[in-house]
Amino acid sequence: MLLVVLIGVPLLGAAALLRLRNHRADIPLIASSLVLVLATLVLRSAAQGGELAYKLQLSGPFVPSLRADALSMVFVLAAAFLWWAVSIYSPAYMHEEGRPRSFAVITLLTLAAVMGVFFAGDFLTLLLFFELMTIASYFWVVHRRDREAIRAGYFYLFFSIIGGLCVALGIVLIGTAAGRVPTVGGGPLHPLEPRLFKHGIAALLAGFGIKAGMVPLHLWLPHAHSTAPTPGSALLSGLLIKVGAYGLIRTGELAGWGIPQAASTAPWLGTVLSILGVCTMLAGVAAALLQSDAKRLLAYHSVSQMGYIILGLGLGLYLGDQGGLGLVGAIYHIVNHALFKAALFLGVGVIYVHTRQTSLYRLGGLWRDFPITALLMLLAALGITGAPGLNGYASKTLLHHAASAAASSGEPWLVWVERLFLLVGVGTAASFTKLYYLMFLGKAAEPAAVRVSHGGVKRFHISMGLLAVVMVGIGLKPDLLLGALIVPAAEALGMNTAAPAAAGVGFWDSSDTAGMVVTLALGMAVCWAGLKTGAFSWQPPAWLTLEGLGSWAGGGIGAALHLMEAAYRRAFAYVCGAGRAFRSRLIESCRRLDHTRHVILGNLKLAGIGADLALVMVTLVLLVVWYLGSPALRLPAAPLTTWLGMPR
Amino acid sequence: MIDLVLALLSGAAGGVVIALMPRAGRRLRNTVVLAFAALGAVFAWRAAVKALNGHAVGVDFGIGGLPLSLQLDPLGAVFGIIASTLWLFAAVYSFGYMAAEHKQRTYYTYLLLAFSVTLGVAFSGNLVALYLFYELLTFVTYPLVIHGRSEEAVRAGRKYVLYSLTGAGAILIGIVITYAWAGRLDFARGPLLAGVGPRVGAGWLLALFVAGFGVKAAVMPLHRWLPAAMVAPTPVSALLHAVAVVYSGVFGILRVVYSVFGHELVRQLSFGRFLPWLAAFTILAGVIIATRQDVLKRRLAYHTISQLSYILLGAFTLHPLGLAGAVLHMFGYSILKVSLFFAAGIIAKQTGKLKVSEMNGVGWRLPLTMTAFGIASLGMIGMLPLNTFWSKYHLMRGSAAGGIWPLALVLVGSGLINAFCFIPTVVAAFAGERGQPVLERGREAALTLAPTVILASLAVLMGLWPGMIWPGVESVVNWFF
Repeated sequence: MLLVVLIGVPLLGAAALLRLRNHRADIPLIASSLVLVLATLVLRSAAQGGELAYKLQLSGPFVPSLRADALSMVFVLAAAFLWWAVSIYSPAYMHEEGRPRSFAVITLLTLAAVMGVFFAGDFLTLLLFFELMTIASYFWVVHRRDREAIRAGYFYLFFSIIGGLCVALGIVLIGTAAGRVPTVGGGPLHPLEPRLFKHGIAALLAGFGIKAGMVPLHLWLPHAHSTAPTPGSALLSGLLIKVGAYGLIRTGELAGWGIPQAASTAPWLGTVLSILGVCTMLAGVAAALLQSDAKRLLAYHSVSQMGYIILGLGLGLYLGDQGGLGLVGAIYHIVNHALFKAALFLGVGVIYVHTRQTSLYRLGGLWRDFPITALLMLLAALGITGAPGLNGYASKTLLHHAASAAASSGEPWLVWVERLFLLVGVGTAASFTKLYYLMFLGKAAEPAAVRVSHGGVKRFHISMGLLAVVMVGIGLKPDLLLGALIVPAAEALGMNTAAPAAAGVGFWDSSDTAGMVVTLALGMAVCWAGLKTGAFSWQPPAWLTLEGLGSWAGGGIGAALHLMEAAYRRAFAYVCGAGRAFRSRLIESCRRLDHTRHVILGNLKLAGIGADLALVMVTLVLLVVWYLGSPALRLPAAPLTTWLGMPR
Repeated sequence: MIDLVLALLSGAAGGVVIALMPRAGRRLRNTVVLAFAALGAVFAWRAAVKALNGHAVGVDFGIGGLPLSLQLDPLGAVFGIIASTLWLFAAVYSFGYMAAEHKQRTYYTYLLLAFSVTLGVAFSGNLVALYLFYELLTFVTYPLVIHGRSEEAVRAGRKYVLYSLTGAGAILIGIVITYAWAGRLDFARGPLLAGVGPRVGAGWLLALFVAGFGVKAAVMPLHRWLPAAMVAPTPVSALLHAVAVVYSGVFGILRVVYSVFGHELVRQLSFGRFLPWLAAFTILAGVIIATRQDVLKRRLAYHTISQLSYILLGAFTLHPLGLAGAVLHMFGYSILKVSLFFAAGIIAKQTGKLKVSEMNGVGWRLPLTMTAFGIASLGMIGMLPLNTFWSKYHLMRGSAAGGIWPLALVLVGSGLINAFCFIPTVVAAFAGERGQPVLERGREAALTLAPTVILASLAVLMGLWPGMIWPGVESVVNWFF
């Protein structure tokens, strides 16, 4: 019941916001604080072993069910905390941006939907909340209502719709293959039809992959995340894409976590996820390096960081019962990325409110005007690059250990995975050096005007500060959260080797810290070189970017459809013309027949018979002949009279 | 069984009464129309509920040795429930929409007569009755198609009649052959041709029936009358050309597959294995053509063609889950599509805009209408809080379980194209800034708006609780399998 309340609170908040027009209370903040408190309550009763499941006993094919296990609690706590922090931030920001009330309503509705996804007990309920989340968060993306926002909204909506359809397809195929609707947290399935099951897993992979920004399905992400109002971006990048990761984890559960690869029902899944994860990391970071807009840079980094998570999941599946580190690292990175990415977006938002500018080349030297923001941003940037002492270090170390464990198996592609892992780390460091340098340290050629005016700054700093405190806390004591939440989550999935594997990683090994420091230094060097040579403002040609290829493909499909339509029209016109000619010839010949007052059949001359009568007679005779002669047709045994009378 | 007769008669009687009061004021006429429609709906519901609970509901009339049998089985009950309920909504909508139109007496007369005849199709207990009412439906809806009396309308009417009569001719030949083979024509005692087996020519007979009923079900390439018939007033387009008339064709095909041939026999025919792909082709081609239409009503018409084949696809999978999907889609699609058409009618009436490309900013002037339109659009994609998700879900399950899972891919693709078909319209309608005067004011507007919004909300409710209609679906499936 607690779960229903947890979903209901934000809904009630949204309803209250819509009903009470002239209120002074900060309803979103109240609602999200309540959610945070309730979420910790749920966590406590889960820790005490309380049964956390709820089933709405509806008749019919849909019986919505909710449940909470250790994994959902990790996500729920991260979501609740993030929403709470952003609720502190957003009123002042949205006051500047415009239409704060509609934004607040959408934010609460999205919170409810996100909670629903994490608490869903079966895949149909999950899909319900997944779709609701898409619809609600769409209004974040189009909040500004300008051309760019509408375009980004299309990207977001259409990709999400495809995602939802793919998930539905996956549920159907897996349900058919296994004979029942897949449940969340039900462990691996044993399909009766492995082929269908395989297709189903692939469909789920695509569906959740779209939401997670997995290459090559990530095209919507940079547009959507950079166009939404900044608190919306923070939540989109911080949490909504993690819903995709959550879906991927649950998909992995259907194939089986923590069982040897040979026993898995989808042994290829780990390999596919690992490769896609590496591609995502690389593509994201490469694109991020070339961005000049702060929010787009962060958005591309969301793609890249999701790559880390997907890689972790892939390695976890690939290594089977030895893959504890991959899974734990991925879950840990989900939490950490939520924290620092939200903080980064919020920081950029502070700058935007005061300068109306997010282009990096028009900002510079802002640390003087915004010293606290600059400090908090520094922490977040160090967090994402994985500097020791901050939270990103913890999860990246775990993931790196997983990658090197996999590479030690000697398979060439796994060796390359580890190398590319390090390369992406350098790229991340380079692009955040670029962001931070251009924004706070360097000098712009034509700097944007700064107007420090209103009093909302304190709330901005409180919100970012809360995130930073948690980041530093995790960074200094990585074992705490790991032992309390992350490892139990992995164990709940069936990864029994998670605890010993995680315990085997000493976070403060000199090799790990030294590696990270070297990575950072290399990143700075790359950034310096890139800025000096102007490589960062290189625009890749269309054939090199997925978007260019996509628009070509779109144009190709359009042209093909156009050709098909033209061909159809021509064929149709031809058929119509032929029909018309046939009809007029028929009428003409009938008329001719009608005008002749007699018909000659052989030697018979039937004078004075109307042509229509003759036609009818001929037709009747033909019909009778055909009917009698056809072997397929036999008169019924009954006498003719009853056959005409149709007996009952 | 008296319910059946009374349900049939109330529509017909209402039509006659309306025709006999030429001088009646608008209010009186509307009251009479609503009263008779409601009466018919009540009786139809009573009969349908009885039939769904497994009671035999039926009556036979021997007319000159020709038994005109009215028997209600679950499938007919479902059709009866859908038609009679939506008729009420359409009647109320008409009061608002037709308020300023001419020839209202003719309009309401034939609207009520068509109600009666549609229920006749649903209630028919043998092929003779089905044929009779199917044929009659063409004639009583013809005056509604040519209501505007423009040259275009008359041409559309001619096309409609020609297509329908040709189809009916094919059905008649099919009926004769069926009788010759089976010796009976009633649906009550299992599939007619079950005892005959897959004999030579059975496939051709199936093709004949499918072509005959396929005209009204707008199976491509027999669909061309439907977009032309969109010249009719919007309530007619909504009710008849998106639901009642076209459903009579779909219903006929369901009858042919499950009551005349039986799913076991169809499975043995090679033509039966081809049928799902015919439906799949219509689904994709219809919706692709729809995206290219600029006139909103034509777009909706092509979209109807596509969606009707969802139902046929479910029926042709010959799997219980597929049939369940088909029946669910009969419910879900009709509700959403009527809502879409109603919204299109409101837009045309209030702003005079017929083309999609002109609709920028319409949403701010008609916020509730466009919201209903948007919700219905999401339903057409098959997104979850809407009822059509459940039909799509079951159709996909049916095709996967029936061994033809690529059909599920067709459904996914169709959902995506549906998004391209409607979402841009909705987004463009809410483009720009608000501030223009809202047009949803006044009595007429309320009469048109209420059915639109209620239907859209009903669709959401049924999406969250598909169990609402599940007993009906279950009894249809159990009846045939």
